[in-house]
Amino acid sequence: MLARLAWAVYLTVLLAWLVFPIALVVIASFEGDLQVSLALRQFSLDAYRAIPRGYWESFRFTVSVAALATVCSLLISVPAAWGLVRGRLPERGVVSNLVLLPDIVPQLILGIALLTVFIPLRLSNSFAGVLLALMAMNLAMGLRFSEALLSGMAEEYEQAAQSLGAGRLTVFRLIVLPMIAPGVAIAALFLFMQNLIVFELLFFIAGPRATPISILLFSDIIDRGVVPQAIGMSALLVYAGIAFYAAVAMLLGPKYLAGTLMSRKG
Amino acid sequence: MELAEGALRRRRRRQDLLFFRLCTAPALLLTLLVGIAPLALMLVQSFIDQDSEAWTARYYVDSFTSSFFTRTLMTTLAMAAGVAACAIVIGLPMAYLLARRSWARNLLMPVITVPRMLPFVVVGYAMILLLAPMTGVLNKLLVDWGILAAPLFILFDWPGQALAFGYSAIVVAIGILTGVLMAVDPQLEDAAVSLGASRLRGFFTVTLPLGMPGVIAAGALIFTAVTTAYSIPVMLAGRVPYMISIVVATNLLTLEQPHLAYAQAVVVSVIAVAATAFAQIVLSRYGRQ
Repeated sequence: MLARLAWAVYLTVLLAWLVFPIALVVIASFEGDLQVSLALRQFSLDAYRAIPRGYWESFRFTVSVAALATVCSLLISVPAAWGLVRGRLPERGVVSNLVLLPDIVPQLILGIALLTVFIPLRLSNSFAGVLLALMAMNLAMGLRFSEALLSGMAEEYEQAAQSLGAGRLTVFRLIVLPMIAPGVAIAALFLFMQNLIVFELLFFIAGPRATPISILLFSDIIDRGVVPQAIGMSALLVYAGIAFYAAVAMLLGPKYLAGTLMSRKG
Repeated sequence: MELAEGALRRRRRRQDLLFFRLCTAPALLLTLLVGIAPLALMLVQSFIDQDSEAWTARYYVDSFTSSFFTRTLMTTLAMAAGVAACAIVIGLPMAYLLARRSWARNLLMPVITVPRMLPFVVVGYAMILLLAPMTGVLNKLLVDWGILAAPLFILFDWPGQALAFGYSAIVVAIGILTGVLMAVDPQLEDAAVSLGASRLRGFFTVTLPLGMPGVIAAGALIFTAVTTAYSIPVMLAGRVPYMISIVVATNLLTLEQPHLAYAQAVVVSVIAVAATAFAQIVLSRYGRQ
């Protein structure tokens, strides 16, 4: 009896703690006021209407650079994983560890290191610089994911196609790609979401001409404090997180998310 | 004839190797140019004097002899270790529940997963809405109900930062531990219980030791993440910087001491990489047992 009570209290407190930021941000965004009152008297969309042009531009920038980085890094990492797994390259261990390095080094440190290189190359404060940084980070996760996918896939189909006279590229296009496409799509979804919310890596590289939305919200709170339109934008990001969950849950079933070791650094 | 066949096979293998190496080339090139080279350059520059361009180790010596740097480093490491330990202890029962009961998984998974997709800035905003001294919901409620005489001023200090880190850390810990505990066979624990052990004892002597790799992995991940966090420490900063990332960023951006910042960044990354490597070594030992 006591154990049940303890479980109930524990679950209630923990769930309340986990839900509170989502709930508070969403409620505040609909009240259009900085003082959240739980009475829910006023309902308005003012906070959303007040979102300035700059926020939308930054949001569009974030989405486009995140999507492009996801696509580019997968275009690079899937063939690389194929070469490493199927080619039985002697240097496989070295190469895959090398590619993982940008993911092991803390994002903040990689961001500082990139800044020192990007300033003389005029890549800081630019779309290309942000894109390159995101790609270096995504490559590690993309490679790990596609290596696992390919190792788990039987090689016989490829050998059969090859013995029937298909060239390497034909095998890749007709056999490998269709077989790993579902897995790659999920990897893309994870990478895209990670790119949307990345902060430390891009903080030093970003500038007025290239501002991801999380950095814009951050500098606004530092300069001006909490403003209603920032809460509105935050609520939109919460909705993006929920949409992401719904997409993955529908594609995979909710069980899958439990074990995924998506590293989040902050 | 056989000789020619052997030569042909060797040539084909060479061609294959070349082809597959070409496949990996773009990935390798990008990593070298955008990952390895900048990090190596930063390491080299941390040993070069900013003004005279001579080789020097003075930035490291300066950092470690400055009591400000060492004190902030220690508070950072204490914060990271404390948050990791608390998050694992708090998350463990929830992870156990999620691993053993599928109804809980189906019901609670969104609550565990969606917070992982929130930018830290949003978590920071929520902390301010909750705990801000005058306007925060919790403070207003506690004062209205007469539980507190005056609002709590804990947000813009280390307790507020610890709560904000703890929020994301608990989510990460639950996610990793659930995955690991799901892989532990529940029949082992049932056997212990049928032999007379209590549920609690069965969990601590059978299930938890088998789930230890998850505890170590989660601990290392949370530790490195908190050590190098930047957004939360700045958003919820007090008067005295509490986290090392602020010191590094200040040296880099406002004090115009980039090479000192590089040296300190190297120190921080050595700590972070060492924590990750330590976890890897322990995990591989575990795997062999």
